[in-house]
Amino acid sequence: MAVKRRIIKERVPTPERPPEERVKSFVEVNLGYTFELAVKEAERCLQCPYDYAPCIKGCPVHIDIPGFISKLVEYRDDPDRAVKEALNVIWACNSLPATTGRVCPQEDQCEMNCVMGRVGDKVNIGKLERFVADYAREKGIDEELLFEMVPRIEKKGQKVAIIGAGPAGLTAAGELAKLGYDVTIYEALHEPGGVLMYGIPEFRLPKSIVESEIDKLRKLGVKILTDHVVGKTVTMEELMKEYDAVFIASGAGTPRLVDAPGINLNGIYTANEFLTRVNLMKAYLFPEYDTPVKVGKKVIVIGAGNTAMDAARSARRFGVEVTIAYRRGPEDVSARVEEVEHAKEEGIKFVYFVNPVEFIGDGNGRIKAVKFEKMKPLDERDGRGKRKIVGTGEYVTLEADTVIIAIGKHPNRLIVNTPGLKVERGKIVVDENLMTSIPGVFAGGDAIRGEATVILAMGDGRLAAKAIHEYLTKKRESKNA
Amino acid sequence: MYKILEKREIAMRNTWYKVHAPHVARKVQPGQFVIVRAFKNGERIPLTPVMWDREEGWIVLIVFTRGKTTARMAAELREGDGILNIAGPLGNPVEMKKFGKILAIGAYTGIVEVYPIAKAWQELGNDVTTLHVTFEPMVVLKDEMERAVGRHILETVPIDMTKSFPENMKNVTKRLTEKARELLEKEEWDLVFMVGPSGDQRAVFEVVKEFGVPMKADLHPIMVDGTGMCGACRVTVGGEVKFACIDGPEFDAYKVDWDVLISRSGYYTDMEMMAMQEYMKALQGGGQ
Ligand SMILES: Cc1cc2nc3c(=O)[nH]c(=O)nc-3n(C[C@H](O)[C@H](O)[C@H](O)COP(=O)(O)OP(=O)(O)OC[C@H]3O[C@@H](n4cnc5c(N)ncnc54)[C@H](O)[C@@H]3O)c2cc1C
Ligand SMILES: Cc1cc2nc3c(=O)[nH]c(=O)nc-3n(C[C@H](O)[C@H](O)[C@H](O)COP(=O)(O)OP(=O)(O)OC[C@H]3O[C@@H](n4cnc5c(N)ncnc54)[C@H](O)[C@@H]3O)c2cc1C
Ligand code: SF4
Ligand code: FES
Repeated sequence: MAVKRRIIKERVPTPERPPEERVKSFVEVNLGYTFELAVKEAERCLQCPYDYAPCIKGCPVHIDIPGFISKLVEYRDDPDRAVKEALNVIWACNSLPATTGRVCPQEDQCEMNCVMGRVGDKVNIGKLERFVADYAREKGIDEELLFEMVPRIEKKGQKVAIIGAGPAGLTAAGELAKLGYDVTIYEALHEPGGVLMYGIPEFRLPKSIVESEIDKLRKLGVKILTDHVVGKTVTMEELMKEYDAVFIASGAGTPRLVDAPGINLNGIYTANEFLTRVNLMKAYLFPEYDTPVKVGKKVIVIGAGNTAMDAARSARRFGVEVTIAYRRGPEDVSARVEEVEHAKEEGIKFVYFVNPVEFIGDGNGRIKAVKFEKMKPLDERDGRGKRKIVGTGEYVTLEADTVIIAIGKHPNRLIVNTPGLKVERGKIVVDENLMTSIPGVFAGGDAIRGEATVILAMGDGRLAAKAIHEYLTKKRESKNA
Repeated sequence: MYKILEKREIAMRNTWYKVHAPHVARKVQPGQFVIVRAFKNGERIPLTPVMWDREEGWIVLIVFTRGKTTARMAAELREGDGILNIAGPLGNPVEMKKFGKILAIGAYTGIVEVYPIAKAWQELGNDVTTLHVTFEPMVVLKDEMERAVGRHILETVPIDMTKSFPENMKNVTKRLTEKARELLEKEEWDLVFMVGPSGDQRAVFEVVKEFGVPMKADLHPIMVDGTGMCGACRVTVGGEVKFACIDGPEFDAYKVDWDVLISRSGYYTDMEMMAMQEYMKALQGGGQ
């Protein structure tokens, strides 16, 4: 391609719906690129050589980023072809690009390393990925690619059970199905998708997109049994008997509560309950949808991760005042930068260095206010690189009629209680191939990491699929020998 | 989709659904429940398999028409239709051992949840007496109960049309506690077990406490997922926060914080009333 390339310092922006408009609805905030804009942004990429390209190193699943970006430029005269080629490159590493293009913390991964950052804005890799996936879906190009893929699959005659239909489970299912295994996913809820369905709100990740990604898996022959709770509907022992291998991808679904008096007052939600009511059950459409949710006039969200941001922005869409209360400072906020900016634009207030110590009721069992201890930072850092904090002995009380607790989650207890399964601090222990202490049983995603990210869960799904494939190949061969 | 094999009204506001749900039927034990989502825009609600056939793959649900979801189920579901989702079985089975002489109480439709438990306890060699207190037109499972346990006591309260429903309910609570007291005074018990509205459970517990008899209560907090994911069902038991769906639903009545349970159960009442009224209006207006 062109050797002399003019460096364009500024990013081509993606259109967004204005804050005034979007705080009133659950419609997606970011509108994404058009083909023309995507090509313009793609042209900014310096096409660092594959072995060097730092963006690839920053990506947990090592997508060939310059590779897919170059297709957009190369076939600029034939948009359908350009997208098909680009999607093919992405799919080699990532089967849910419409999702990761929207929810990955690109600023800490691929984009953090982008060379363009030394002279101007980093290449907008996330939005380009999202563009490719969206365009392909709208034009049916993904179906076409899939259609070409399915007949080439050679059936292996071995069965794999997957527990949980979140990003880890879905990814593993897709990879294993492509390798010819007979895959069944057991999902506790009535919809597959995991956090993508029940946690992340519609305005950030439209549910129709997740559904279409799942549809593709079904076309690959993956069976999904919803309403099946492993540990109850079927036991691990039964799965191990019936299937040649099992992959546990049950996530980290148990909410952590603040250990303070008054935690069971009415109006105190866990983020999981609040988001499940709002996203999965569409409580924002009550009474057209039957599930209620109560959002008061003053909402306090405790925590500052992605979950807290999603809860806060969802609450804000009920037209109320929302404050995020975090026990550390602004530099330690762990949510994606884009979401924090969106939250601020939408009028959400942030209060730092406050730790809840008591939930105060109104005398009728409802929350009225939260008492916080003021915290102060120390110079020392903890294991995760965050500044340590200590209480000051001073207190502040903030009024609230709804409180949402978003301080983290533990892995699901139903699975963790399996006899023989090694677990440390609630997390399932695995070796470098993601095999657990039980032979033939693998695990990945939030179930082994605690709370992590979509792309890391997907990376585990891929790695597990590879490891399961090797394990089952050996099993096949030893049987045949 | 889980096919409805049979549906009929077995008493006023009590509907019987025999549903094909083999994944539940093959595993369910007395004391467990399922989460049902009947309609596309519907709510997830907990219900109890009352009877089941592991071979044929069906379960029976008996549902009291309370608010919009249960009213919609009664009005809109037909035999041959499907229920969209039935997840489970969930929760822990009740403890299956020989307690001795057991008084198992059900208030209103709560008796249907007592049925599989009382039957299993009786079969295990316990001496089980069941007490059912309800309004006259709402009697259910009388014959089945009589067959299943040593003694079935049925106490009915007439509905007084000149009074409001809550007023009428007070009469049931009164009869419930009187009858419980009478039985506790006359006979020696090793265990009391109860299912019914939290307020009635507490009222009975207050009586049982005077006699110092051990009591277990099947708690009914509001639930969403039923798998320990949302925390909606949290209750305080013995000073600790427990999730009824995975730690229960049965707990030691002496350790339950009844105030918190009762208060939390009523949190959505106003919204539920509103939804119900809109639904009734839509029904009268010729459907939605
Ligand atoms: C509100 C919120 C916002 C987030 N935002 C982002 C973001 O912007 N970017 C990002 O990268 N990450 C984000 N994350 C984190 C990310 O979603 C998770 O790391 C990721 O979903 C983990 O994937 P998983 O497949 O391991 O588990 P999950 O997505 O949790 O899926 C697990 C699935 O297993 C099912 N399951 C559990 N137990 C059982 C059982 N016993 N039997 C059967 N099924 C079972 C569950 O119902 C669920 O469907 C967010 C998380 C939350 C909660
Ligand atoms: C473990 C368990 C087993 C149950 N088994 C049965 C049964 O076998 N038969 C039966 O008739 N009823 C049973 N119930 C009660 C049943 O779940 C409620 O009657 C039903 O949810 C009411 O829904 P609704 O929309 O018609 O009423 P609503 O108008 O929504 O609510 C009326 C009242 O029902 C209760 N309720 C509402 N939603 C829920 C919810 N999601 N979870 C729990 N309680 C709720 C609340 O106290 C509320 O105030 C059980 C409840 C639990 C927790
Ligand atoms: S580091 Fe940046 S400029 Fe280099 S290939 Fe990756 S996206 Fe392009
Ligand atoms: S119902 Fe959600 S945790 Fe029990």
